[in-house]
Amino acid sequence: MITSDPLTFITISPIALGLALLIIPNIAPPSMADYIRRISRPLSMSLALAIFAIASMLFFGQIGDIDWLNITQGSYVFQNEPVILLESIGVRWTVGADALSFPMIWLTAMLIPISMLVEWDAKKGHLFHPLILIMEGALLGVFVVLDLFVFYVFWELTLIPMFFLILIWGGDDRRYASMKFFIYTFTASVLMLIGILVMYFNTNDPSLAGTLTGHHFDLVSMTIQSSGDGLIASEGLRHFVWLLLLVGFATKMPSVPVHTWLPDAHVQAPTAGSMLLAGVMLKMGAYGFIRIAVTIFPESTIIFSSLLIILGMASLVYGAIVCMGQTNLKRMVAYSSVSHMGLIFLGIATMQPLGIAGALFMMFAHGIISPLLFAVAGAFKHHYHTLEIGSMRGIAHHSPWLAGHMMLGWMASLGLPLLAGFVAEVAVMIAFWMTFGWLVLLPALTLIITAVYYLTSMQKTIFEGGDPHVGILPESLHGEEPRDITWHENIGMLILGAMTIIFGIMPFIFWDMMSEWSTDFMVETLISAMNSQGVKP
Amino acid sequence: MILTFEEMQVILPELILVIGILLSILLPNIGNAKMRFPLTRTRFPILIGGTRFKLTADPRLPGRMTVAVFSLAFLFSFLEINSASGTIGDVIEVTPFTRLMSFIFYGALLLASIATTYRMPAKITARAPKDNDSEARSEALISALMDNRRQVDFYILMMMVGLGMSLMAMSTNLFFMFVSIELASLAAYVLVGFHKEEATGGEAGAKYFIVGSVASATGIYGMSLVYLWAGDLDFDTLASSWASMEGLDPFALIGVGLMLVAFGFKVSAAPFHLAAPDAYAGSSSPIAGVLATASKAMGFVALFRVLIQITMPDEGEAFWFVLLAIIAIITMTWGNLAALTSINPKRILAYSSVAHAGYMLAAIAAIGSGLGTHEANEIVVTAIVFHLTILVLFKLGAFLVLSMLEIEGRSHRLEDLHGLASRDPMMAGSMFVFMLALAGVPPLSGFLSKLLMINGIVNISAGTGSSSADAIIPWAESVDPVFWLAIAIVINSALSLFYYLRICLVMFFEESESSKPLHSAYFLRNAIMVLTVLTVFFGIGPGSEYLLELVTDAVSTM
Repeated sequence: MITSDPLTFITISPIALGLALLIIPNIAPPSMADYIRRISRPLSMSLALAIFAIASMLFFGQIGDIDWLNITQGSYVFQNEPVILLESIGVRWTVGADALSFPMIWLTAMLIPISMLVEWDAKKGHLFHPLILIMEGALLGVFVVLDLFVFYVFWELTLIPMFFLILIWGGDDRRYASMKFFIYTFTASVLMLIGILVMYFNTNDPSLAGTLTGHHFDLVSMTIQSSGDGLIASEGLRHFVWLLLLVGFATKMPSVPVHTWLPDAHVQAPTAGSMLLAGVMLKMGAYGFIRIAVTIFPESTIIFSSLLIILGMASLVYGAIVCMGQTNLKRMVAYSSVSHMGLIFLGIATMQPLGIAGALFMMFAHGIISPLLFAVAGAFKHHYHTLEIGSMRGIAHHSPWLAGHMMLGWMASLGLPLLAGFVAEVAVMIAFWMTFGWLVLLPALTLIITAVYYLTSMQKTIFEGGDPHVGILPESLHGEEPRDITWHENIGMLILGAMTIIFGIMPFIFWDMMSEWSTDFMVETLISAMNSQGVKP
Repeated sequence: MILTFEEMQVILPELILVIGILLSILLPNIGNAKMRFPLTRTRFPILIGGTRFKLTADPRLPGRMTVAVFSLAFLFSFLEINSASGTIGDVIEVTPFTRLMSFIFYGALLLASIATTYRMPAKITARAPKDNDSEARSEALISALMDNRRQVDFYILMMMVGLGMSLMAMSTNLFFMFVSIELASLAAYVLVGFHKEEATGGEAGAKYFIVGSVASATGIYGMSLVYLWAGDLDFDTLASSWASMEGLDPFALIGVGLMLVAFGFKVSAAPFHLAAPDAYAGSSSPIAGVLATASKAMGFVALFRVLIQITMPDEGEAFWFVLLAIIAIITMTWGNLAALTSINPKRILAYSSVAHAGYMLAAIAAIGSGLGTHEANEIVVTAIVFHLTILVLFKLGAFLVLSMLEIEGRSHRLEDLHGLASRDPMMAGSMFVFMLALAGVPPLSGFLSKLLMINGIVNISAGTGSSSADAIIPWAESVDPVFWLAIAIVINSALSLFYYLRICLVMFFEESESSKPLHSAYFLRNAIMVLTVLTVFFGIGPGSEYLLELVTDAVSTM
């Protein structure tokens, strides 16, 4: 199964093992339950590592030997033999990957073991690590399935482990945060579901259709249908569906004005929860937006591209400005995520291959950098018992490793050349300039604000100890001597930092396939749609 | 012989119920009474009366017997779903559809009976209070004795509800249908007010009874008008007279309209739903569950018979289309809005049940539009029957979880659900699944049935939307009004999410008032677990295929 259908394996096995580890101790006799509780942490970790190994082998060609640069538009690799789940309404289990989804799959597979490692000593570890495993299965499911019904199921399934992660291991205000998180994203995804249902009722491929309804949820077939006469005949309805999908995906991304759940969720979530939330869950929104809304309704995307620019610019500028006023470390990083996600909308709105590739690389780069930032913030909270910027000065003296990681992460996030974030930002900016000319000054100047708030907080926390030997220790330590980060936190951050540098120096590892995909996408889908709308490509 | 052997085989589950009722009356009275031959000293046992034997005096006997009777009836109904056929007299016709319906009724009643054995337990240790007992102890003993005493009443009524409902589904004659509905309803009125020692119980019973009998009286008045018009009450005759009717006869029109009032009360459609929340909140949770599932299914069968079988014209829209569409939208919106503001979990579930009735009425209204083909209409009916079937899983399941809470006290406040997750994670998990299924979250079975209903409505109104409209508003103006029924269902489902989630959230977030785990209630707990598994199982994969096929086959014989 692993070689013939690797994507199904990496999606189902973590969910199955995670559920088993959660349920069996509740029903097994006590001695066995204790044993399972003891092995659940190493067992979860080894499965996560195995999945990372599989994902890497898929990339390097040990399994399947795929030429990642030449996947034609609309076709997928590692597709399975579809399994019918609900014949009557046309639901099938069908998975596949392409250059759009594969970097996200690999990113998820990489982040899961790291987030487990960072929280290796979490309380109630026998619950924590299985929940992370379930989270992994749900996240991978969102990226691999090609059936909108199953996509929606996984989309909602990601909420449940995250909800419990915040609820059980969160901070003091966790109830409010997890409730807000759940209600925001759930409401948005119901609107998205309505959009998906309208699409469903317009499908007409008889070979896939459900026996009772005559429609199907197959994404590949919907894409083919949309490139013909359009999935939905009426243009008005098409725009309506596009807007519904936008609400669903923009809330997840999140974009201003539906971003307010994110800072609360991040501040209260445990470190691993924050890492996955920022690293992968936000990318689900961008991925779904490109995969469904942009691909199936390219005309609507072109018509509403000014809306995308407004949303993108608002997120970028508003997020950056709010960051400057933050005194809470996690809140600041969360708003910087909002700001960076704005660049994705801008990249798509440029309607340039370079801009779309830049948006894709932004998803990936932010997926490495923001977990590093949250790991740092989590470790800071863990060892200094506070998240206030400025309550602690001169970390470089007390926790040199932590200070180093903090420095690297913040530098990467503000877009220092030769680190991963720079590539994406520059690509989006160039594409923006190519399309909109001097308007590029607006987003470019925002990057200065980013630099301002990062450099200020860097100065306030890492350096500037009043007394060079002691620094200022926060009151929350109650006079204890602060320690440097533990070995497992350090290893996790080292890997993330190394990734940031590797993908900054060698972005072509994933950049090439992303830019191939964007060029193909441009040629196959967007150009004809632009012609039909009278917009010059 | 009144019935031939074949006929007895056809209605075997109902015969089992009749035997069960008779035995429930007889068995608890069997004792060692003897009678003397006149003029001799010889005594012979006549069994009725005297000191009861240990077995027949056991207060748990009626409950156990009823569970056994319903299990048997449930099993035989299930076995016959695909093969049942036969007629008895001119009033009963057994088809796979009627067997499916009695399968639903018996399933719901079986679960409610199991729950009642814990909700109203028979205590074999109960005795009359003595002088040296404390006051509280005496009261507890007296209430236990009272519960023991009324066990058999409760279960006889349960079986009568089952018998009435099942006969109602099989009837081919309006009058017999009415009598069967009354058999079920009268028993149900008593069951609602059964806990008369509680203030809410008596009030709920009286209210439900008064409103219900007014609705029934209206219905039978309507039937008499229909009888005046057609001279017969047989469904087939009525259908053919209706088809050959020139224009609309006022007698027929008013008659059917008045009958809709009676059936509208049974399915708790607005504006006849006002007694339902009170009845649900005042009765014990298992009975509320029966009202929300089996009783509702009974009302919908009646609506199918009258609206679709009799008054549905071959082409063109039925006269009740606009009326029913409006009622449907009001019902679902009212139900959801009222549920949003309720703080009693039973009332929330009652209003959610009103909202679900609205969804199903909308689907029937779409059939009435006359736009759909025969196949399209059949899919809608399948969707409704499928929904009625799986409602037994999650709506009744939710009421059973409330019964678990009722065992230890009350479940009339949302606070009683607080912190259920930490007290009893399995029950809270089940309730979570039931709520998500009620809200219609994929991949649970509640989503499948809702999707099928929406799909049916969209199919019927498909193609009416203009394909040349290039903006949102012109397109919306061009589509047929039936389409808006589907939109109403979707918007209402989104609205309903909030109160279902509220129940889930208080279970997980709030601190519980007591930290004791719930009563172990072995059978009830396992029944709830089975319902949870089935809610998921019938939502996706082979399970849903199987159930849908069963329902589709059954509906095709209607």
